Amino acid sequence: MSGTTKTEILTTDGVPLKDSLKKAERKNKIRATLLVLPLLLFIFFTFIVPIGSMLTRSTDDSYINKVFPNTFKVYQKWDRQGLPPEEVYAAMFLEVKNASGFEIGKASTRMNYAKSGWKSMIKKSKRKFKKIDVNDGPFKDKMIEIDKKWADKEFWLALGVMVDPTTYEYYFNAIDKKYDSEKNVIDQPENRQIYVKTWIKTFKVSILVTFFCLMLGYPIAYLLATLPLKYSNLLMICVLLPFWTSLLVRIVVWMVILQQKGVFNNLMVISGLIADENRWQLMYNQTGTIIVMTQILLPFMVLPLYSVMKTISPNYMRAALNLGASPLHAFWKIYMPNSVPGISAGGMLVFVIAIGYFITPELVGGKDGQMIGNWIGYHLKTTLNWGLSAALGGILLAIMTVLYWVYNKLVGIENIKLG
Amino acid sequence: MIKKIKIAFFSLMSLALVTSAYADLTFVSWGGAYTAAQQKGYINDWNGKVNVENYNGGLGEIKAQVEAGNVTWDVVDILPDQAVTGCDEGLFLKLDQSEFIDDMIAGPVSECVVPQIFWAYTAFFDNKAFPGKKPKTIKDFFNVKKFPGKRAIHTWANATMEMALVADGVKKKDVYKVLGTPEGVDRAFAKLDTIKDHVIFWSAGSKPLEMVSSGEAVMALAYNGRIGAAIMTDGKDFGYIWDATVLEQEYLAIPRGTKNEAEARKFVAYAAKAESLAGVTKHITYAPMRKSALKVVQKGEPWYHTGVDVMPHVPTNKKIIKKAIIADPVWWADNGAEISERFGAWKGN
Repeated sequence: MSGTTKTEILTTDGVPLKDSLKKAERKNKIRATLLVLPLLLFIFFTFIVPIGSMLTRSTDDSYINKVFPNTFKVYQKWDRQGLPPEEVYAAMFLEVKNASGFEIGKASTRMNYAKSGWKSMIKKSKRKFKKIDVNDGPFKDKMIEIDKKWADKEFWLALGVMVDPTTYEYYFNAIDKKYDSEKNVIDQPENRQIYVKTWIKTFKVSILVTFFCLMLGYPIAYLLATLPLKYSNLLMICVLLPFWTSLLVRIVVWMVILQQKGVFNNLMVISGLIADENRWQLMYNQTGTIIVMTQILLPFMVLPLYSVMKTISPNYMRAALNLGASPLHAFWKIYMPNSVPGISAGGMLVFVIAIGYFITPELVGGKDGQMIGNWIGYHLKTTLNWGLSAALGGILLAIMTVLYWVYNKLVGIENIKLG
Repeated sequence: MIKKIKIAFFSLMSLALVTSAYADLTFVSWGGAYTAAQQKGYINDWNGKVNVENYNGGLGEIKAQVEAGNVTWDVVDILPDQAVTGCDEGLFLKLDQSEFIDDMIAGPVSECVVPQIFWAYTAFFDNKAFPGKKPKTIKDFFNVKKFPGKRAIHTWANATMEMALVADGVKKKDVYKVLGTPEGVDRAFAKLDTIKDHVIFWSAGSKPLEMVSSGEAVMALAYNGRIGAAIMTDGKDFGYIWDATVLEQEYLAIPRGTKNEAEARKFVAYAAKAESLAGVTKHITYAPMRKSALKVVQKGEPWYHTGVDVMPHVPTNKKIIKKAIIADPVWWADNGAEISERFGAWKGN
C-alpha cells in the first residue's frame, strides 16, 4: 500500500493527477454529450420509437384476448372434434353481447384475418343478440339460427390461432404459412401463396436494378472523374438534372416512351426491326419496373463512384501502362480494385433503396412488377392488418441489417460518400 | 440585424397562431376532377373556410391520426368497405342520418357516414376499333374471339370478380351469393383466365382512357366519370358497355377526435343535401346517392356544366341501373384481403 502512494503523482493542489485528469475529461464528455443530445433525442423519438412501436404490432395479439377472455379459456378445453360444446357458445354469446361496439368491431377485424367471414358474422350477431336475454340459454341453436356460419367448424378452428396474447402468425403469414387450430405451422392454400414469390421477385428486381445501375453508372462516373472540368461539369449537370426532376414526371415520361403504342415501339416498327403486331410489352410489367427504377436510382450509383474515382491518381494507370501492361490489363489490375469502395457503396445504396421501393412498381408494375413494399402499403391502408405489415417490414429491416453488417465487415461503412 | 430577424420570427409565429385560432375545416378527398367537382358543386358555397387536401384512399393515415390523438382531418371522403371497417374500429364518429335515410338509392353502409355519390367501374371501347359490330354486353368484353384486341383492367380485384361471373352466365342479383362460396370464387378466376393473355393492367385512373385513345387497348374498365369527361369534354368517340357495370358508393365521414366536431357535423349535413349532390353531378358524371338529388338533375337538364344532357352518362339512370351491380361492401370487407392476395397471385403467374 505505502509503495503505491509514494509513486502517485500529485498536482500542485495535492490532488492525484489521475483524478484531476478524469475530472477535466468528464467535463468534456458531458459537454460533448449535451451537444449531440438534441440529435439523439430527435432520432429516438422520430425514428426508434415509431419503428419499435410498429414492430411490436407484428407479434401482438393481446387485444382479441382482452375482448374474449372467457371464450378463449373454455375454447382451449374443446377437443376439436365436432362443433364446440354449449359452454363455448355461451361464453362467446355473452362476450359479444356485453362488449362495446368498437371492441367487437376491432376484434372482428382481427378474426377476419384468420378466416374471411368472421367480420360480418360477428357484426350481424352483435345486432341480433340484443333481442336474446342473457338467461335464455342454451344459446348454441339460437346463434346458429341467426347465422348458420356459427355451425361451420372452420370458423371455430380459426379461433385457435389467436388464443395467446403473443403470436408469430404474422411472420408466418409473411412467408405464406399459417397456424392451424393446434398452432402447428402449415402452408397457406396454394392460390393464396403470394408473399414468397413477391420476396423472390423483390430481390431479383433489386439485384438487377443494382447491376444495371453499375453497368451504366461506372462509365459515366469514370468520364466524370477523368474528363477536363469543362466537360465534366456539363456531364455532372446531366446526371443531376433528372435527379432533381419530380419522380412522377419521370415515371410518366417512361410510360409514354415504353408503352406498346409509345415512342420506342413506334421507332422499332418504323425502322422495320419488329412487325406492327409484335410490339414489345415493355411497360406495366416487371421489365418496365426494372427499366424505370434503374433510371431513377442511377445517380445513387454514379455519385459515390465518382467521389471514389476522383481520388484515384492518374499516375497509377500511367505507371502501369509505362511498365508494359495492356490498357485493359491495367484497368483491371489497377483502376478497378481502387474503385471497389465506390462500387460497393453505390451498390449498397441502390440495393437498399430498391428493395423497399413502392411508387414506381405501383404505377408501372401492372401484371407482375409489384414488390413487397406494395403489399406492405396495401395492408397498411386497405385491410388495416398492421400486424402483417409490421411483420413484412420487420423482415425487410432484418434483411437490411444483415446486409449492412456484411458490408461493414467487408468494406467498412465509412466508405459511403455521396460527393 | 438579429433584432430584425427576431421581429420577423415572432410576427410569423403570431401569424401562425392567429390563423390556427380561426380553424378552417380540413376536407380530405381524392383530388383530380372528382374533388374539383365537389368544390364547384357545393364546397365553394359553404359559408366557412374549407381547406381541401388530397389523399390516396385507405384508412392508414386516419388510423394513425386517431391512435396518436392528433387528428388534423375533419371530413374525409371514403369508400364503402373502408366506411364499414373504419366505423367498426371506432375511427369515425356516428352521424345523424335521419335527413336522408329514406331517400337513398342504396345504403348507407354504416352509421358513421353521409352519402356522396355512386361511381362505377364501367367497360368502354373505342368506336374506331370496332367499325362493324360493337360490343354490347360484358360477355363481349370477355369474348376475345369475337372482339379481338387488348383489354385494360385495373391491378386490383374489385369489380372484375363480379363482371367475370356475370360474363360466365351468373344472374346479376345472384353474384354475391355465388361469390360467397369457394366454388364461386374459383369460377370467377377461371373466367378471368380466359382473357388473361389479352389483358394489360393500369393503376392510375387516367391510364385506361389514354390506353384506349392511343390504341394500346381496344376496350378497358375505367371509372365512369373519366369516360363521361372523355366523351363530353374531350369529344372522344368512346362507347359504354353498361352491362354489369359495378356501382361503388362514396361517403363522407368525420374522424373521431377532430377539434372542429360541431363545424364538421354541420358541414357534412350540408354536403349530403340533395342540392349539394346534384351540384357534383353538374361537373362530373358520377351519380348522386339520393333519389331527390337525381330528380334535381333530371329537372335541371341540360344539367352538365357544358350545357348538354348528363342523364345518359349517369349510372343510376333508370335504364342503366337495371343492368348494373351495386358492389357489396360487406362482402368485400369480409373477403377483400383474401381475394386481393389471390388476385395478385393470379396476375403475376
